[in-house]
Amino acid sequence: MVALWMAIPTAAEAQMEFSLDEVEEDAKPAGKSKGQGDLIEELAAADDTADGPAELTPQREEIAEEIYAVQQIYALRLKRLELAPSVAFTLNDPYIKRYGLGFAMNYWFTNVLAIGVNFNWYDWGGNPLDNGTDLEFRVRNQFRLGVPLNEWQFGLWANFTYVPFYGKFKVRKKIFQWDSYLIGGVGIMRTQPIPVFDPEIRNFGWQTDVAFNVGAGLRIFLTRYLTFFTEFRAYMWPDKFENVQVDPGNRTDPSTWTQDGSTFVANTSIQIGFTLFLPVKFEYRLPK
Amino acid sequence: MMMLARQTLLRIALLAALALCLILGDGMRNGVGSASAQDVQVSGPLAGAPAVRKLRLWRDMRLHVEPFFAFTVGDEYSRSLIVGGEARFHFLDWLGIGGWGGYSVAQLDTNLTKEIQAKGVTTNANRLDLPSRENFPDQVGRLNWWSGVELHFVPFRGKLAMFQKVFFDADLDFFVGAAFIGVEERADSVGQPAVGDVSYCEIAGNPDDQGCLGSQTSRSKRTAIAPSFGVSFNAFFQDFLGIALRWRGIPFKYNTGGTDNNNDGVINSSDRIKQFNNMFTVGLIFVLPPKTKTTD
Repeated sequence: MVALWMAIPTAAEAQMEFSLDEVEEDAKPAGKSKGQGDLIEELAAADDTADGPAELTPQREEIAEEIYAVQQIYALRLKRLELAPSVAFTLNDPYIKRYGLGFAMNYWFTNVLAIGVNFNWYDWGGNPLDNGTDLEFRVRNQFRLGVPLNEWQFGLWANFTYVPFYGKFKVRKKIFQWDSYLIGGVGIMRTQPIPVFDPEIRNFGWQTDVAFNVGAGLRIFLTRYLTFFTEFRAYMWPDKFENVQVDPGNRTDPSTWTQDGSTFVANTSIQIGFTLFLPVKFEYRLPK
Repeated sequence: MMMLARQTLLRIALLAALALCLILGDGMRNGVGSASAQDVQVSGPLAGAPAVRKLRLWRDMRLHVEPFFAFTVGDEYSRSLIVGGEARFHFLDWLGIGGWGGYSVAQLDTNLTKEIQAKGVTTNANRLDLPSRENFPDQVGRLNWWSGVELHFVPFRGKLAMFQKVFFDADLDFFVGAAFIGVEERADSVGQPAVGDVSYCEIAGNPDDQGCLGSQTSRSKRTAIAPSFGVSFNAFFQDFLGIALRWRGIPFKYNTGGTDNNNDGVINSSDRIKQFNNMFTVGLIFVLPPKTKTTD
């Protein structure tokens, strides 16, 4: 009995070794078996009929088994740090062309959620009015209207990013993975009025404003760690502009230089850049 | 000179940053592995198989009919809200031709227009530009109707997952063509008696328009022809139904403010200035025939 018991595993192991000839000789259509699809039931049946094939008992419930082949996501963001240099172009300022150089860092604490910061630098020295559009000149000349303008130094924001859309594009035989994300956060914006209405006397310093931002972006994966991205951002803050009125008897009083209230500013801009995901290598939770 | 130098430096810095990213990316790619988005390596039974099987042909020999709503952005004095339609026929899944047209159902004054209406100042020096601030909205240029014919290229197509729950096909449609725009501008007029000291205007039918008040509200209409181009993101939810989000650029000249922009004392066609007109569109695509074909 002990010898028989010890021999069973050996026999079972031997039965698991298939040669090509064996398969070809014994190959038969397998589509008619009622027990097909229930592996455990078939194994149990084999144990009961060790001496040879026996009649298959009818299956009490029909089981429809489906197997899905799921492709792995091309690039995971989970637990990776994203570094993103970019350039920013303001879209909606009709008076001054503004350009920014930006840098962002995001940490992805899920595959679709990240927390991070972004920084934009706008102050490139010189007179900001040198970058003025001809509209500012026309408004001044044709309608006798001065336009109070502010120059920007930098903005710094803390943001949340969420990726609701993920997809891939086929270009001939190549496939590009991409995602689209929503971003929003709070931070600061440093601005100062440009003295236009009484430039001989007025001289302003940088002021710090609380700022908000929302946006949406598109990221195309060039590799698993390098992407090209473009995003639309709306940076918003309450800003103090120069007072268009000049009090002749009190020109030197700085408290009269700016407007009483704040003006809500919404800077809509396009940012274009690259992102680098670190570490560059990552492992999938489940093997391919 | 300072401005040129700064712009040059900015461009150099931008190019250097982009080059650094590319070099860095290429160098790291060598160390990490050879898989990349442009070179999907497939092994096993799928090796040598086409990139996509059972590809749904959303456009091949089909007609797209698309009612849309559009609005212009970046306008100096007046924005247009447009309702219209577009029809496209595609000879191939990636190539087609189409026509579109729309009417400006509303025109919204920009904040600058309201500021000028409230605070503008009129003197003899600028009377031709602003005869009266109250009527300023009546002198600005308006874009009343739009149409065009365009060639469509669809090189990018794929599928999209939304919230990892909803899946649909999507593509990018690049188009280029010609647009025809119904422009309404301030009519020609001549400031008198002298440039920079205008007290009355000469306009058609009235050689003595005191204060140029008649000139301010007299209008002329024409059809402007301009290039048009843009890109559209399209997503298809049913065999016959999809949605389109489109940006279209139409650069052409017109007198946006109804002003003497070249300062020659006359308002005429020489005062038209270049405008890059941007239009954003949201449309609903109906595809005919309604049944979608697929590849092998």
